[in-house]
Amino acid sequence: MNRRPSRRARQRLAWVGLVLVVGTALAVGTGRGSTPPSAAKRAVSIEAAVRCPSCEGISVLDSSAATAVAIRRAVAARIHAGQTDAEIEAYLTSRYGPGILLRPPVHGATAWVWVLPPAALAAGLAGIAVVLWRRRQPDRVWVPAPDRALVEAALTARGGGEGERGR
Amino acid sequence: MNAALGHSGVWLGLVASLVGAAVIVVGLARGRPEGTRAGRSYAVLILAGAVASTVAMERALLTHDFSLAYVAANNSRATPVLYSITGMWSALAGSILLWGLILSGYIAAMVWRFRRRAADPLVAWATLVTFVVAAFFFGLMAGPADPFRTVSGPVPSSGLGPNVLLQDNPLVAFHPPVLYLGFVGFTIPFAFAVASLVTGRVGEGWQLATRRWALFAWGFLTVGIVLGAWWSYQVLGWGGFWAWDPVENASLLPWLCATAYLHSVLVQERRGLLRVWNLSLVIATFSLTILGTFLTRSGVIQSVHAFSNSDIGPLLLGFFGAVLAGGVGLIAWRGDRLRSPGGIDAALSREGAFLVNNLLFVGFAFVVLLGTVFPLLYEAWRGQQVTVGAPYFNTMTVPIGLALLFLMAVGPALPWRKATLATLRTRLVVPAWAGALVVVACVAGGVRGLAPLAAFGLGGFAAAANVRQLVLSARTARRHGTSVWWGLVGRANGGMVVHLGVVVIAVALAAATSFGHRGEVTLRVGASAVSGGHRIAFEGLAHERSPARTATEALVVVDGHGPFRPAVSQFGGGGAAVGTPAIESSWRDDVYLTIDALPVNAGGRVTIGVTVQPLVSWLWGGGALLVVGAALAAVPGRRRRATDPVSAPVPPPRSRRVGGVSADGPSRGPLESGSGETGADVERVDETVGAGSP
Amino acid sequence: MSAGVGQPTSHRRHTARWVAAAALVLGASLVAVLATRPSATATEVNTPLVGTRAPAISGTTLAGQAFDLASMRGRWVVVNFFASWCPPCQQEQPDLVAFAYRHRALGDTALVGVVFDDAVSSARGFARSSGATWPAIVDGGGQIALDYGVRGPPETFLVSPSGIVVAHLDGPVTAAQLDYWLRREQSGVT
Repeated sequence: MNRRPSRRARQRLAWVGLVLVVGTALAVGTGRGSTPPSAAKRAVSIEAAVRCPSCEGISVLDSSAATAVAIRRAVAARIHAGQTDAEIEAYLTSRYGPGILLRPPVHGATAWVWVLPPAALAAGLAGIAVVLWRRRQPDRVWVPAPDRALVEAALTARGGGEGERGR
Repeated sequence: MNAALGHSGVWLGLVASLVGAAVIVVGLARGRPEGTRAGRSYAVLILAGAVASTVAMERALLTHDFSLAYVAANNSRATPVLYSITGMWSALAGSILLWGLILSGYIAAMVWRFRRRAADPLVAWATLVTFVVAAFFFGLMAGPADPFRTVSGPVPSSGLGPNVLLQDNPLVAFHPPVLYLGFVGFTIPFAFAVASLVTGRVGEGWQLATRRWALFAWGFLTVGIVLGAWWSYQVLGWGGFWAWDPVENASLLPWLCATAYLHSVLVQERRGLLRVWNLSLVIATFSLTILGTFLTRSGVIQSVHAFSNSDIGPLLLGFFGAVLAGGVGLIAWRGDRLRSPGGIDAALSREGAFLVNNLLFVGFAFVVLLGTVFPLLYEAWRGQQVTVGAPYFNTMTVPIGLALLFLMAVGPALPWRKATLATLRTRLVVPAWAGALVVVACVAGGVRGLAPLAAFGLGGFAAAANVRQLVLSARTARRHGTSVWWGLVGRANGGMVVHLGVVVIAVALAAATSFGHRGEVTLRVGASAVSGGHRIAFEGLAHERSPARTATEALVVVDGHGPFRPAVSQFGGGGAAVGTPAIESSWRDDVYLTIDALPVNAGGRVTIGVTVQPLVSWLWGGGALLVVGAALAAVPGRRRRATDPVSAPVPPPRSRRVGGVSADGPSRGPLESGSGETGADVERVDETVGAGSP
Repeated sequence: MSAGVGQPTSHRRHTARWVAAAALVLGASLVAVLATRPSATATEVNTPLVGTRAPAISGTTLAGQAFDLASMRGRWVVVNFFASWCPPCQQEQPDLVAFAYRHRALGDTALVGVVFDDAVSSARGFARSSGATWPAIVDGGGQIALDYGVRGPPETFLVSPSGIVVAHLDGPVTAAQLDYWLRREQSGVT
């Protein structure tokens, strides 16, 4: 362990430097949400989350169907009129029902679809952790009573006492 | 004539599979090897039946024999030759025929490959399972999904022609057959898994026997999925290549389980662990191919692909249920035999990494499955409709994908059994710095957003880590006196190349989805405008009129290149008009052009939709890398004889028998592995002695 | 998972059996749900519009006359969104013709059509060739379809005499179904 301390120290430095560099870069790269999105950007983000009602599973942004065009026009008009994203989605939901949004609502009965996968993954990881932790415990061999009696009988039959009972 | 030939082919296949299954059962019950061996000849009969039906169908399509209802619905006199041939798999009944053909081919190949072990109960049971599956699919064709049903009433003079979207791109000739080669290919590992459970031989034998089969099936499935994405990109008009469509999800689900299986198998080969995982993954993969076929063919969830509502839905669902129940039941029955000799010693080890890898892939599959069927479940429960679309899948799968990228970097550097952080720190410092530099370069280049930066950084990390493995392997090869290129073949090295392909695809996905630009330009003839950083010029309209296609094309010049021809087309002289996009591809980005509005009157303005997405061509490049990696992994690597000392040079394989796993059973025990690993282990032993790992 | 030699056989077996049973139950419920999906006829859809005031329909009919839904107040109105290119619309058209004929004589229910994403000439030809006698409004820009939350034709709405949407039917309707729903809503209101 102490054969090449300078190498270890260099390595430590390399990793610490790495963490600093990446941390700074990420801080720079993910900050700056200052400017509010433009009307066009808002329209794109709303339209990407609204389903084209007469198509199979694509968004209003991607579709050229008549219903999609109508919804895009309505969204643009409402953005221009100053409505918020939530109000526009509420308007569309009041016409088509919650199925018009490509993202199932987070509240209510559809919350299951959001909660189940992270819960399942967490349960899986916890299961792995538990199993591995149990592995670390000293081996406790659980011997059923009949087997124990058999071994005892065989050992006493051989004439050995406590001393010959190995393991 | 065609109908008669087709029907006889189908019935031949059905009867041969049923009788063959019966013969094998009798042979097994009586313990007579002749019985089980005789089952092999039935495989030839099944193949003959499938080939006869295929020939009949193709002949009917090429000669426009409209007395067959299928031909009348999917072909017309104006259909070009290519699309007549591909018409065989354009719709439901024909695609079952394609499945039957490919399945028969695989069964015949399997029977030939294991011919010397035909008396072995393991092989016999596996053959039996494949016969039962074949009987199911031929039974579908003999009954509800009859491709050779004749038209009731007078024979029409021409047919409806193929679906419009299936006529405007030659990829229709490749995507379905390749995808089916993948789907159907998993029948063989599944059959062997069931055989191992039934015979109680749940060790590693069945896995070693089917290793290359699983790899080939995985390879084809991967190519099929990538081709599907490419095809929808070229045809469907919104510049997207993956819409989390139920049918796309149906092909992704078995792929996820198969990928997990390919990784998890390594742990069982090395240490005999994770047996229940591996059996479950193989059974899950096969079940999901059946479930996927059900979801696609029954129309139960509408999607871009859903061809028809049909009677085979309940049958496919029933088969899926039977496979699932049977598989789960078998595993429960053999539960005691599936205990492994040993366990995972430490969480930080390659076994631990593979276990977490399994969990992540299964979690991914769970997300995709839940999202696909949740609308149905919700509607059954609440009576209301809800949509689970791309935003949900993206939100849920991006974290899993990032975690997988991280594992891809760390996993190959982890030693077996137990690792220390010191070991990892030493091995991964250079790749980690590579990833850090990528992040810095991206931020400096103006990239913003946590998910894309994390994807690029982890991608750089993983790429560097995998390249490190390849370099170590090549160095070992040179040290042992063989050509450096031997360091690039074999399972481990092929796997590293596959990982590189995945990194390229991940980076492309992150770039294309986070930094795409969508716009429209409205131009008169001769005018141009800038959209998304490119100059778009409109040069005029062109009209094409041929029996196959009537189209109005816009001649568009992008940055001086072109002209590109986005169009509005009608196929076969009738039917709906569809937009056909045109794409200008470069290694940097793709400019995707569609006609959003044609001029109302002559000399008017045309509205062209312009979608610019960076790095899309990297997707297809990454897909090619995946195929190259899979091919490399299939090549037998260099193996050392188990009795030679660890430092002995590894000779290049003289023959398949020495190098690979021969069909006659494993010639090496589970401790053998590709030279890449062993060589690299040697390398690592040299390294870590100095650092003094405990 | 196969970790842990030191576990008793019976305990291990039971774990495997429980996991297998759970997987089987989940699989069976999935199969049960997938197996019980509805078929393709008109179904009543429960959208948020049902029970609220019917959005305005005003415009020009295929025959060129002005039309406003408000003028129908006081009668039951069946609003039918259709298109000439849609096969289920073609399938339900004879039933609608029969329904319209019967109720025009009675005078209690009016039938109104709205053209969904179709060329005026095609819609006109479709209406004429099927013998439709009721006014069909041209929906410029799809705004009426948006207001009513129409995903795709054919969709039919039942509007009460006070102007409330009482039913939303998705898919091709038959005359018998329309009569059934009318009777159900009429007995409910009065």
